[in-house]
Formats: sequence, C-alpha cells, structure tokens
Amino acid sequence: MAVPVTVPERPARRVSAWHFVRLKLRVLGNNFRGQTWRVALFVLGVLFGLWFAAVGFFLLAVPGLAGESRYALMIAAFGGGLLTLGWLLLPLVFFGVDETLDPARFALLPLSRRTLVTGLLAAALVSVPALATAITAAGLVVTAGVLGGWAAALVGALGVVLGLLVCLAGARALTSAFAAMLRSRRVRDLAAVLLAVLAALLGPLQLLVLAAVRQTDWDRLDGVARVVGWTPFGAPWTAGVDVAEGRAGAAVVKLLIAVATLGVLLFWWSRSLESAMVGTASSGPARTPRGVAGGAVAQLFPRAVGWARRDRFGALVARECRYWWRDARRRANLITVAVVGVFVPVMVNLGGFSFSTEGGAAFGGADSSPALVSLSMIFVGALAAVTLANQFGFDGSSYAANLIAGVPGRVELRARMAAFSIYVVPMLLVIAVALAVVLGRPEWLGVMGGALFAAYGCGLAINALVSVLGAYSLPESSNPFALNSGAGFTKGLLTLVSMVGSAVVAVPFVVGAALLGDVWLWLALPVGLAYGGGAALLGAYMAGDTLDHRQPELLADVTPRR
Amino acid sequence: MTDQHPALSLRGLAKRFDTKVAVAGVDLAVPTGSFYGLLGPNGAGKTTTLSMAVGLLRPDAGEARVLGYDVWADPVRAKSLLGVMPDGVRLFDRLSGAELLAYHGLLRGMDPAVVDQRAAELLDVLALADAGRTLVVDYSAGMKKKIGLACALLHGPRLLVLDEPFEAVDPVSAALIRDILHRYVGGGGTVIFSSHVMEVVERLCSHVAILAEGRIKRVGTLAEVRGDRSLEDVFVEVVGGRTATGEELSWLSR
Ligand SMILES: Nc1ncnc2c1ncn2[C@@H]1O[C@H](COP(=O)(O)OP(=O)(O)OP(=O)(O)O)[C@@H](O)[C@H]1O
Ligand SMILES: [Mg+2]
Repeated sequence: MAVPVTVPERPARRVSAWHFVRLKLRVLGNNFRGQTWRVALFVLGVLFGLWFAAVGFFLLAVPGLAGESRYALMIAAFGGGLLTLGWLLLPLVFFGVDETLDPARFALLPLSRRTLVTGLLAAALVSVPALATAITAAGLVVTAGVLGGWAAALVGALGVVLGLLVCLAGARALTSAFAAMLRSRRVRDLAAVLLAVLAALLGPLQLLVLAAVRQTDWDRLDGVARVVGWTPFGAPWTAGVDVAEGRAGAAVVKLLIAVATLGVLLFWWSRSLESAMVGTASSGPARTPRGVAGGAVAQLFPRAVGWARRDRFGALVARECRYWWRDARRRANLITVAVVGVFVPVMVNLGGFSFSTEGGAAFGGADSSPALVSLSMIFVGALAAVTLANQFGFDGSSYAANLIAGVPGRVELRARMAAFSIYVVPMLLVIAVALAVVLGRPEWLGVMGGALFAAYGCGLAINALVSVLGAYSLPESSNPFALNSGAGFTKGLLTLVSMVGSAVVAVPFVVGAALLGDVWLWLALPVGLAYGGGAALLGAYMAGDTLDHRQPELLADVTPRR
Repeated sequence: MTDQHPALSLRGLAKRFDTKVAVAGVDLAVPTGSFYGLLGPNGAGKTTTLSMAVGLLRPDAGEARVLGYDVWADPVRAKSLLGVMPDGVRLFDRLSGAELLAYHGLLRGMDPAVVDQRAAELLDVLALADAGRTLVVDYSAGMKKKIGLACALLHGPRLLVLDEPFEAVDPVSAALIRDILHRYVGGGGTVIFSSHVMEVVERLCSHVAILAEGRIKRVGTLAEVRGDRSLEDVFVEVVGGRTATGEELSWLSR
C-alpha cells in the first residue's frame, strides 16, 4: 500500500550551530535537575577552571603587562603550543571527552555532515575547559594589544579563536579516530601501540623542556619558539605578536595555516563521525571468542583464571577478566596504565640523566636514590589502582545481575581486585624490572617492588571504597573516551582523592628507603607485599560492608539515564 | 514453613522519584502455583513495582516477601528462591550465551556439572545454540529476551518474576516461552509477569492485577476481573483510554 508522503523541498527552518548550543545547554540543565550534589560538583569544577584560567591569563599576559616585548613570541609559541598539545593528548590519556551530545543520536536526523560537524563543534565550545582555555588565551590578546595597538589585538583575537577551534576539533578528531580503531577488530592492537607511542612522546618532550630551561640559553630557545610558531601548534597563537612586532605578512600566513589545519581536522573528524554513527549498536569489538571446547563453565573461564575454583568467586573473577579485555572502555584504561606507568618513573629517575651527561658524569641514575625510586613506584602503584575508582560504572546497569543473585559485597570486591591484578601485577613487575635494569641498579629491585605493591594494595583498598561511594554512570556510547557532562570533573576529583590517599598510606615506604639504609633493600619486598596485601583485604572487608548496605543505590548511580 | 505463605506478597509498596509518585502503595498477594499477570499502561509503575519486589530498587515504604522471607531484611534467603528477568537492564553482554549462563549458575552457587548440563539444554530448547560463541551484545532483541529468561530459569527458582517477557519475541519463540512457563507452573512454580499484551495474559494467567497510576485498580482471578467481557474492555475502562479519531493527526494521511 503506497502511503502518499509529501517530501518538503526544504526544511522550513535551517538548523544552525546555535540549535546545537541550545540543545547542549538544555541537556546540561536537565542533567542537574534535582541533583544537588551534581550542581555542587559542577560549580566546584567551574571555580577550578576559572582559577586555572586566571593563572594562565596572567602568565600569557606578562610580556604585555610588563611592556617586555623580548619574550612575547616565546611565551605565545610555547604557551599556545602547550595548550594545543594538552588538548590533543589529555583526553586520550586521561580525561576523556564530554559527550553530552552523542553524535550517534543524530544519525537518523536529516542533517548534512557539515551542519552536524559545525554544530557539534559549536556545542563543544560550551564547556568549562573550553571557556578556561579561551580566558587563558585572552592573555595573548592583551599582550599583542599592549605591544602593538588595536590592529595587533584584533589579529591576536582572531588567532586565539582559531587556536581554540583547532584545539577542540583536534581533540574530537583524535578521540573519535582512536575510538574507531579500538572498536575495529583489525587495527585495535595497532591503536594500542599508537596510543602508547603518543603518550611516550611526552617523556622526551619533558626532558627537552627541562634541558632547555636548565640551559637558559635564550637565543636558542627563541629559535625553537620561532619554529614552533610556524607549526599548527603555535601558528594561531603567535599571529597577534607578529603584528605587534611588525610582521603583518607572517601573521596572515599563520592565520591561513590555522584555517587550513582546522579544515583538515574537521574533515577528518566528520569522516570518523560517520563511521561511528553507522556502527552505533556495538560498543566493543564484536569478536566471536574462539578457544576451549567444552561445557559452559569451561568456556567462561579464561586460561589465566584456570586456577580458580568453579564457584561464585571464580565466576566473578572469570567474568571480570573477560571484561577487562572485551570492553573497549576498560581496555583503553589498561593501556593508559601501562603507558603512564612506564614513562613517568623513567622520566623522574632519568630526569637527572640528561644533565649529568653534559657534565660528563657517570651514566645511570646519578640523581636517583632509593627514596626517589620508591616515590615514583608509589605513584605507579597508586595510578594503576585508580583505574578501579569507577569500576561499577564500567558495568552500568548490568550490575543488576549480581544484585539479583545476592552476591555479598566482600566477595564482589575481592574478586574484582583479583581479576584486575591478573592483568596489572605482571605489568607492574615488568615496569619495576625494566626500571632497575635501565638504572643499572638491580639491587634496588626489592625496594621498588616493595613500594610498588604496598602502594598498589593500599590503592586497591581506597578505590574499593571510592568505587562504592562515588560511582557515576558512563554513557552507553561507542566511544570509550566518552564521559557524561560534568563527569570529567567528578572523575578528576575522585582520581585525585584516591591517588593522594593511596600515596599517603604508602609513605612509610619512602621513609623506610630514606632512613633504613641497606637493611631496607632486603626488607622492603616482603614488608611491602604483606602491607599491600593486608591493606587490600582490609579494604575489601570494610568497603564490602558498605556495599552490602547500598547495592540498590549503587545500581541507580551507575545506570545511565537515557 | 514456606508453603502457607504466598509466593510473593507486597504490602504498601511505594516509591516516588523527585516529585513524581511512581508507585503509590501497592498490596498484592501472589498465591503459590499461580500464573499472575500484572497489566498496566505505559508508565503505570509495573517495572518500578517489580524492581522493588526483587530487591533492585529500595522502596520508600512497604515490604516485599518471597515465600515468607523479607526481600529487604533477609535478602539471601529471598533471592535464592527468586528468578528474575528485569526490563531495561543490560545483561553482562560481553559474554557469549553459554558463558553468561555459566556465570549466572555459578553465582547462584550451583554445581558446575549441573550448570553445564542445564545450560546446554536451555540453549538448545530456546534455539540459541546456533548462536554459538556470538557475544550477547550482538544478539537480536528477541534473542536477548530469551537468554535473559534462560538466566532466570537456570537455578530452578520457586518464583519467577518477569518484566515484559514477550516483548520483541517472535510468535514461534513466544509459543515456546509460554510452553516452558506452563510446564514450570505445572511443576509447582509460580510466575508473575508484566505485560500489555491482552491475548497472552488471557491465554496464560490464572490471576490478573491491573495497575494504573501507581495503584492496583483491579485484582483477582482472571474470571473475577474479566467477568463476562473481554479483558481488553475491562482494561480500557479501568485505564480510561482515549482513541484518536477526528481531526487530530490529519496530516498523517495526506
Ligand atoms: N529512575 C527514574 N527516575 C525518575 N522517574 C522514574 C524513574 N523510573 C521510573 N520513573 C517514572 O515512574 C513511572 C513508572 O515507571 P515504570 O517504568 O515503572 O512504568 P511501567 O509500568 O514499567 O511502564 P512500561 O509499560 O512503559 O514499561 C513513570 O512515570 C516514570 O517516568
Ligand atoms: Mg516497564
């Protein structure tokens, strides 16, 4: 039966970017309805953002306010470049992206790709980090204005807007590209490697910066700044200063570079958007698991969990193990731990290395000491455990199954710790051994292992409690980096709390390393294992009790509101 | 002691979300061995009521007992007697069907050999064995319902609580599920399920309750509630529905 449907030649009203902005504001507002603590967290986040923005603003405005044109270009190039780099890397490695407006939701609407991309970009502007960046970068406009008058300020402002858009588009493009890769069966391992390489780039970069600051060779730094100013990282930010210094031609070219970059990023983003919109249904690798023949129970247990008894605890561990691998979101978290866990201790302990070689000092940890090594290991242990801070959020409403079966809180938490440790403990061991080898100090292995496992155990304990009390829902999106609006700040806050908490509890190990001398080299490992293990068990015991009392509330917390 | 108690008894269950009263005091006694249908329009509070009855949602007031055991005071005993298929809740869907069943079985403390045997049987009967090792995320909506039902049945519960078990299920599978549930009730089990499909309820149920705006409007055996009319007439009368005729939506038929 043919239904006569008239197709309007044109929609009555064009959809503009403004609609997306309004939609985002509306969704934000509705999210807050009746949730006082969310409003409070949001306000706190805004205050933090403003504070950072103010500091950044004054830093970037210093050359202008001091009337000191010598450093203007350098500050613009490095400051702006750092902002851009931060926008590109931090969402991937740590913060995730705000997905208040999930692109997949627009899949069925008759919107052109162009409308969608500009709209989503405009909506992305309405966020605390974007506003904070805008305020910070306004410092550059002030500098340009003071040094070069109105024309320079105007060009500076144009550059700053372009720079901000490049940041936003870059962050979106990169996360959606990685999301697509992590989803795809074929290239997801490649994506992991790429992510690792990207994050590992931070290490040498920091070394470079440190070395540069140490040298205080301003001429050479100035040269570097000039080069950075011509890359997409620095171009939009330095245009204003260029006008102020009388290089109007250079400024125009830089603005063009920024526009071209923005165009390329937007094109790239729209491509990956499309693939995300088509494949909305499954948010993980739709891999048909291969392997063991046999009964259902034998299929559930991966080989790494073969030792577990076939009971409730074993089932929980096996399921968690499967999930750490099969869930793209969890896998992305594991990768982050591996990457950050490798490069931070290397940086901290070899940081002195690049200086000491200049002076011809001996190779190998000239600046490092058992206490410093312990400290960096405590960081790694705490960081690894922090992955569990929202462990129930990963499950979302499927946690209901455990509630229906009446799983006791203590068993639940112990099993989750065990499953996560199956992945993380070998990783931590490799990190410790690798660091000992690189430092050329195999005798420190015990100290490192002790601090590492003490911090990891304490972290497990604290995060068990955090995960029960501070759980928040994650969007059911195909993007493993996606966060609900406002959740970014919650995540940051909880991460900070639990990392500081874990580190504080593990501090005796730094003290021991600093004071006890050689005895500690032997004692640290057994003491650390006992300390960490005991802390984890105690944590599971206490947090398990809390969990028993608030299971339905936890389920409500982690169930995404649709 | 469990035999003199109703399979499920709800007393004064109430829940409000912010300003919206979702359930405003529900009393219900589901006799052992009955096949109980909970009817109601969209947003009546069926899901909310059943969630409170099985321990997924903490009620503001009232109590729920499964064969005499209080769901909120003695959850371990109550939950061991219950099999639940919630609605609008994800399964642990990154597992294959067999893995999911094994997980549920072991969580219930069953013997692994029994789990293996029952899982194989359930997958076979529900025509899910062909899916092999496909992850449950990649199942169709109806297949997800069926594996959810299998999970609820696996440990042989005394009371089955099913939220919309026939939604999205094809006619052949629906007939199959009806058969399974009939056999289950015949063997001494009790079923309560929510639905808005009148034919299914009329064909299956021994008892019916009609819920609207968070309150029980009609309750009793099917014959008592229905009288000499059709269940649909009673339902529409109770709920006070409207039918769209006349001028509104005229643009649909241009
Ligand atoms: N988490 C929640 N927050 C706020 N309101 C809710 C929530 N869950 C349910 N409600 C409201 O409670 C009422 C009852 O919802 P419920 O899901 O129990 O209805 P239902 O009878 O299952 O409907 P349906 O037949 O559509 O499944 C609805 O008005 C709904 O809007
Ligand atoms: Mg419902």
